[in-house]
Amino acid sequence: MFKSNKTAWLFVSPALAFLLIFKIWPIGVSFFESFMQTSFSGKRSFVGMENYSYLFLHDPTFWNSVKVTFVFSLLVNPITLFVSLTMALLLNEKHFFTKFFRTVFFLPTAISFSVVAVIFAVVLDPYNGLANSFLKLAGMNSQPFFGSANQSLWCVILLCVWRSAGYWMMYFLAGLQGIPQTIYEAAEMDGANGLHKLFRLTLPLLTRTTSFVLVSNTAFNFLMFAPVYIITQGGPRGSTNLLMYESYTSAFVIADMGRASTITSILLIVIMTFSFLELRLTKAKFEY
Amino acid sequence: MKKSKGVKNGTLFVVLSAISAFFIIPLAWILSSSLRPAGSLYQYANPLTWRTFFPSAITLENYRKIFVDLLFGRALANSLIVSFATVILSVLVSSMAGFALAKFKFRGKNIVFAIVLITFMVPFESIVIPLYVLVRSMRLDNSFAALIVPGVGNGLAIFLFKQFFEEVPNELLEAARMDAASWLRIYAQILLPVCMPAIATVVVMTFMFQWNSLFWPLVATHSSAFEVVQVAIATNRVTEDTSWANLFSSAIAGSAPPVILFFFLQKYFIKGISGTGITG
Repeated sequence: MFKSNKTAWLFVSPALAFLLIFKIWPIGVSFFESFMQTSFSGKRSFVGMENYSYLFLHDPTFWNSVKVTFVFSLLVNPITLFVSLTMALLLNEKHFFTKFFRTVFFLPTAISFSVVAVIFAVVLDPYNGLANSFLKLAGMNSQPFFGSANQSLWCVILLCVWRSAGYWMMYFLAGLQGIPQTIYEAAEMDGANGLHKLFRLTLPLLTRTTSFVLVSNTAFNFLMFAPVYIITQGGPRGSTNLLMYESYTSAFVIADMGRASTITSILLIVIMTFSFLELRLTKAKFEY
Repeated sequence: MKKSKGVKNGTLFVVLSAISAFFIIPLAWILSSSLRPAGSLYQYANPLTWRTFFPSAITLENYRKIFVDLLFGRALANSLIVSFATVILSVLVSSMAGFALAKFKFRGKNIVFAIVLITFMVPFESIVIPLYVLVRSMRLDNSFAALIVPGVGNGLAIFLFKQFFEEVPNELLEAARMDAASWLRIYAQILLPVCMPAIATVVVMTFMFQWNSLFWPLVATHSSAFEVVQVAIATNRVTEDTSWANLFSSAIAGSAPPVILFFFLQKYFIKGISGTGITG
């Protein structure tokens, strides 16, 4: 470590300025707005915790969104984790086809969420979509997919896994490459088989990667917006009405900025708490 | 009993091919539809035949149309300008901050580090509305600057550089100090060249983020001179004559640059992540 206040601050201040102006300030404003209410005449006034208490006590739409968002998070994050970890384990060893499959699995990540949403809307079309053609070929009935309150959220989950699994696979690949080969050789000498090696060595040694992926992916998915906006508009019957979309409708459809900022602020607090808890639980050491 | 290596690799190949079908099939359909004469979208989707994925008459008419009639080339150029400008600025300021956090003790360091951690946990979408109010009050709205500056400060990028620089031995820097090199020279000539993997990681991450953003450009710009790729694609979807052909060809053309970038930087990208200590 070197000691020089002046040099260190010279190097750190450009980035810090960008963070303070374009990240910290808007976060602060968002919290501030959640304590304000604008009347129809355009007069703004401080209302304290009223926005919050109204949401919590008198707003069933909000509670439905909370429920949907939690169910969505509890499903999409473990599934994404499982799929991306499996793909990384299959692609860790070098073969002539490794680079090709890595690129294929990563391809969806290069496509924006809005385009992915459009692709899924047509692939999962209830009448003529590709997915139903495959089902028909397999002798099964056509499914309504986004048209049904029971299936819609699952389709959004499928879409998110399809888009993100390849991205997190990269982090797992990086983690796997950091495990020294000698550990496995030693284990083989002791007669460990493949499953042993996976559960006793690989997975424990990947804890830090896993917690990083889990935390980042959870934070990201809490704010899922594009597929809901483009495909379902929260429906059918509120089954996909994620909180971020509810906040958006508050701000841009019914022009209730106080409610919108309150929902965003709650999301921010929940994300921070979740990230903190997950880091604690998985004992990830981010050293200072 | 040990299976022979050939059988094992063969099984692996089959399993991987099955997984890639899940990723490839929707894309293959979109690609083949974009190469088909414009017509009914579902004409070949149901029932399923080989024609679903292999158009019988291939045409580039859809691509000609988006580039010539709908000025998709300009949107591509705008996105490239915005993405590369953000990438260059972000790599520069993030690596400088990462250097200071990794190699210096200074007053206020803990506060700076806390700010870095907070901002990398707060996703962009949640601050779009107050950000717009701010950018408008700075009279930056509807400009390239509006699209570029919010993406420059990036907590995750700073964190990655910090972790990477910590691996560089202090002796190397001390030796350079003895030779009376300034800190700026040490940063530019010693540290930056050894952290190519970290740079590649930040380049890919920042580029993808800017290339794929839709919500912010929609809010922050309104004249077509600053239309970026995602906005152009979204507009192709909502124009009056809803033409799937335009949408699909622009989706394919608009996804090409990040795929190409990733294909070339993939080796560094994985090395960069593993060099940062995030992964163990």
